[in-house]
Amino acid sequence: MRRGLRFEGVAVAGVGMVPFGMLPERPILHLARDAGLLALHDAEMTLADVDEAFVGYIQLASMVGIKAMKELGLTGLPVTHIENASATGLVAFREAAWAVSSGRADVAMALCFDKFTDMAGGGGRAGGGRGGGRDVIDAPILPASYFALWAQRRMHDRGTKPEHFAAIAAKNWNYGAVCPTAHRRSDHTVTVDEVLGSRIVAEPLTTMMCCPADDGAACVILAREDLVRSRQPGRALVRPLASALQSETYARGHTFVGPVVGPSTMTRDTARECYEAAGLGPEDVNVAFCHDAFVNEELEYYELLGFCAEGEGDKLVEEGQTGPGGRIPFNTDGGLIARGHPGGPTGLAQIHESVLQLRGDADGRQVDGARIALAHLVGGGSICTVNLLERTD
Amino acid sequence: MARIPIEEGFFRIPDDPAEPPRLLGSRCPSCGEVFFPRRLVCAKCLHEGCEDVDLSTRGRLWTWTYCHAPLFGKKDADVPGYGVGQVDLAEGPRVQSILLGGPDDFEIGMELEIDLETLRENEDGDEIVIYRFRPAAEYFNGVA
Repeated sequence: MRRGLRFEGVAVAGVGMVPFGMLPERPILHLARDAGLLALHDAEMTLADVDEAFVGYIQLASMVGIKAMKELGLTGLPVTHIENASATGLVAFREAAWAVSSGRADVAMALCFDKFTDMAGGGGRAGGGRGGGRDVIDAPILPASYFALWAQRRMHDRGTKPEHFAAIAAKNWNYGAVCPTAHRRSDHTVTVDEVLGSRIVAEPLTTMMCCPADDGAACVILAREDLVRSRQPGRALVRPLASALQSETYARGHTFVGPVVGPSTMTRDTARECYEAAGLGPEDVNVAFCHDAFVNEELEYYELLGFCAEGEGDKLVEEGQTGPGGRIPFNTDGGLIARGHPGGPTGLAQIHESVLQLRGDADGRQVDGARIALAHLVGGGSICTVNLLERTD
Repeated sequence: MARIPIEEGFFRIPDDPAEPPRLLGSRCPSCGEVFFPRRLVCAKCLHEGCEDVDLSTRGRLWTWTYCHAPLFGKKDADVPGYGVGQVDLAEGPRVQSILLGGPDDFEIGMELEIDLETLRENEDGDEIVIYRFRPAAEYFNGVA
């Protein structure tokens, strides 16, 4: 079975996002509208140019995506809702890229948004996204606990220290400070000691090692490469190269109740399929984005995405290879920890930052000469997607 | 006053309060894989028609954490936190569960046994209960 897609003749026409944060005074439809308009402006297009749209979110009622699209105009275009938990945005991106690559659309839009401030009170997290049956059994256990379980086992197996986790978190906080669309923008350099000294949530994770709740919206417009070249002469061209998407395969030790972390093999296998589809390897990637909702994940994904051998992620951290000036900078917009994690739009924020990096427009955090970007997310622990983008001249 | 499972179909509460609860699992008659919770189709070989089995009341701790927040829904907000773990049962399933004990009471690989935890009371005064695991008796007795 071939799960990796290779995109042919597709380019990024435009990207846009509203800065993530707690924005209770701003209606969700306005957040979505503003992200959509920013991307249309970046693409020098109107909705009349868009043949198809994919909309996504995880916290809102059904059909809100259609309402959000109406804020941009009513042109009769086909609109499809996408929902894949935290990976929603990247899967909407994948579908939009495939719509163009397959030839059924000249221009396709991915628009995602979410509003966690609407979830405050009245049920809150315990009800959010959880159904009956096994989810009720698992409701007393917080998401931070799931990832802490993984972190504790890592420390037992590999001798990883809380300092390793804190170093990654500090790196992401400090990237967030220089990213204008990030939620957490520290006014001082965050240190390992500060991260370790913040309140403990679930051993060994502290509050500064966990992502915040967020509101936000982001949009990516993809189009036929020749169309983008003719409409945007003189601009660096960014192309989606390949995408892979997987759900879990069964293995002994699978926890059917509480599947938020998922098996580590899922990221490794999905990455391999994406690299194969693109004809590239991890050595070709210059900047990477991953699911760092809880900081120990980022350490694991260094290994599972192939940037170092199994068990050598700690060394990568000690050498500073995933931060400014390192061999493979990760989460240069602050990642889920600092840029924020509203849910639906998170993946499109990764694409937004990937495009800025590949265009050379990531002021204050630019990876010199970046030509290949990788974006990875897991969703509900039960699916994984890996995507590759390239700058071509 | 009765003890009512938080959700039907996952564990059985024995009439004798001294008896531990039993997790309800499935065994595939074709490949022999055992699952928790119960399921119809084998996740490994896709055979239709798994058989009901009761699972072990003891297991080995694969990993654990201690969550520094009151247990959701618990009336007693003074409780500083609670343990969470993944427990490997002898038949194969790995079960995620609340753990009984303090932050210094757990180590990977230790033997645990199953018990009941009261989450809250309903309007009729019945106790809504969930299964949990705690270090096996020999740890408390200083034998281990």
